[in-house]
Amino acid sequence: MAVNLEYVFRETVSNLKRNVSMASAALLTVAVSLTLVGGALLVKKGVERATVQWRGNVELSIFMKADASQPESEAIDRQLKSMPEVKDYRYVSKPEAFEEFKKIFANEPDVRESLTVEQIPPSYRVVPREAEQTKIVGERFENTAGVFRVSYAKEEVDALVSVTNFLQIMLWGIAAVLLAAASLLILNTIRMAIFARRREVAVMKLVGATNWFIRIPFMLEGLLQGLVGAALAFGVVWIGRDLVQDRVAGARNDIQLFKQFLVTGPDVMTTGFVLLGVGVFVGTIGSALAVRRFLDV
Amino acid sequence: MIRLRDVNKTYKGNVVALRDMSIDIAKQEFVFVVGPTGSGKSTLIRLLIKEEKPDSGRIWVAGKDIGQLSSWKVPLLRRNIGCVFQDFKLLPSKTAYENVAFALEVIGRPPHVIRQQVPQVLDLVGLTKKRDHFPNEMSGGEQQRVSIARAFVNRPLILLADEPTGNLDPSTSVGIMRLLDRINRTGTTVVMSTHDSSIVDTMRRRVVELDRGVLVRDQARGVYGVNA
Repeated sequence: MAVNLEYVFRETVSNLKRNVSMASAALLTVAVSLTLVGGALLVKKGVERATVQWRGNVELSIFMKADASQPESEAIDRQLKSMPEVKDYRYVSKPEAFEEFKKIFANEPDVRESLTVEQIPPSYRVVPREAEQTKIVGERFENTAGVFRVSYAKEEVDALVSVTNFLQIMLWGIAAVLLAAASLLILNTIRMAIFARRREVAVMKLVGATNWFIRIPFMLEGLLQGLVGAALAFGVVWIGRDLVQDRVAGARNDIQLFKQFLVTGPDVMTTGFVLLGVGVFVGTIGSALAVRRFLDV
Repeated sequence: MIRLRDVNKTYKGNVVALRDMSIDIAKQEFVFVVGPTGSGKSTLIRLLIKEEKPDSGRIWVAGKDIGQLSSWKVPLLRRNIGCVFQDFKLLPSKTAYENVAFALEVIGRPPHVIRQQVPQVLDLVGLTKKRDHFPNEMSGGEQQRVSIARAFVNRPLILLADEPTGNLDPSTSVGIMRLLDRINRTGTTVVMSTHDSSIVDTMRRRVVELDRGVLVRDQARGVYGVNA
C-alpha cells in the first residue's frame, strides 16, 4: 500500500499541535536525559584519552629525602642505570622541583611561601620498559637509604579513573531514570493524541484502513519528540564541551592530567549521533507501547 | 454473498447474542433483519465485519471464510463492506465532502480518484449543494446521506445498515430507504436491521426475524409483524 506522505505529515503535525504542552514535556525530558548521557560519554572519552597518554609512559617517581646526601643520591642513579627494566629516567633537582611546586600552587601564595627550595625533595622520574614492571622497579627503592617515598603515576591515574567512573555511573543512573520517564511521557502524549482522534480512528477501521496506516502518524509523532529532544541535547553537549574545554585550556595548563583531558570535535559528533539514535529509540519505544496498548487495531 | 453456519456468540455474563444461526444471503439481495432490542441484530453486523469473533460456527463473506482471515487482511474485508449506523459516525470537524473523501484517503486512494468519485457519490445521495457543510449544519437525514455516501463511495459488494432510520422522522426515513433501494439496484447486497415496521411493510423484501439470538422467521417478500 502506498502511504500518502502528505496525509501522514498533516496528521502528525496536527497531533503535535493539539498536545503542545505534553509534547514539550516529553521532548524536554528526552533532551535533559540525553544531555546527561552525552556528558557521561564525553567524560569517558576524555578520561580515556588522558589515561592513554599515561599508559604509554607509565612513570614512577622516587622522591629523595630533602636532606639526602650526595652519595645516597648517586647510588640510586647508578642502580637505575644498571637496571634493564628501566627504559629511561630523569633527575628533577631541588630548584626544578621548586619551580614545579610554585606553578602548581600559583594561585595560593600562602602555600607557595610556606616552603623554601631547601625543603623540597628532589626526585627521579622513571619510565619502565613495560607498564607491568613499574611496581617491581619501585619496590626495589622503597627501603633504600635516602629515599623518602616512591609514588606511582598509576595510582594517581587510578584515583582519577575511579572518581570519573563514579561520576559516570551517577550520570548513567540519572539518565536511565530520565529516559524511562521520557518514554512514559511520550507514551502518554501519544495516548492523548489517540484519545483525541478516537472518532477518526473508529471510522478508519470501519472503512478498512490498514493497521499500519492508522499507526504511522502516531508513531511518527513519538519518534519526532525523541529526535527533536536528542537534537537539543546534541546542541547542549556541543556548547557545554566548548565551555569546559576553554576552562581547561585557560587555567592549570601545566597539570598534565588536565592538559590531556581533551575531547575532540569528532568525539562530540560521534556522541551526538549516539544521542540521536537513543532519542529515536526512546521515541519509538514510547509510541509503539502506546499504539499497542491504546490503539486496538 | 453472505453465509453463516451454526454461529454462536455469547457475551460476558452469559448474555446470548446469537444461537445456532445459519443463513444464506445471495448477491444483490435486500434483507431486513428485524427483532426487538437485544435480539442480536447488531451482533450479526459486527460479526460480518469481523469486529467480533463468533464463539463457534463459520462465516463466509464474498466467498471467503472470515474465520480463516488473518488479522492484517481484515481491513481488506472491510473495504468490500460499507457500513451505516443509527448515529451516523461522521467526523464533526470535516465537511460532507471531507467526510466522504476521508474514507478513500485512508485506504490509500490517489487524489485524482478521490476528486472524481466523491462528487459522483454526493450527487447520488443528493447532497451536491451541501458538500461544504459540516455535520452540525445538516439535518439528521442529510447526515445519514453523507454516511451512506461514505459507505458507498468505494463501491462495496455489501452494504450493512444498522437501524439507519432509527434517529429519523418517517418522511426523512422514506428518502433514506429510496436511496438504499437505489444502491441495491446497482448490484450491491444490502442487509439492514430495523425496528421500523412501516418501512418493512412498504418495501416487501426478504425479512429475517431474530428473537433472543435465535432465527425465528425467514420470509421472502415479508412484512414486519409475524402474522401479517
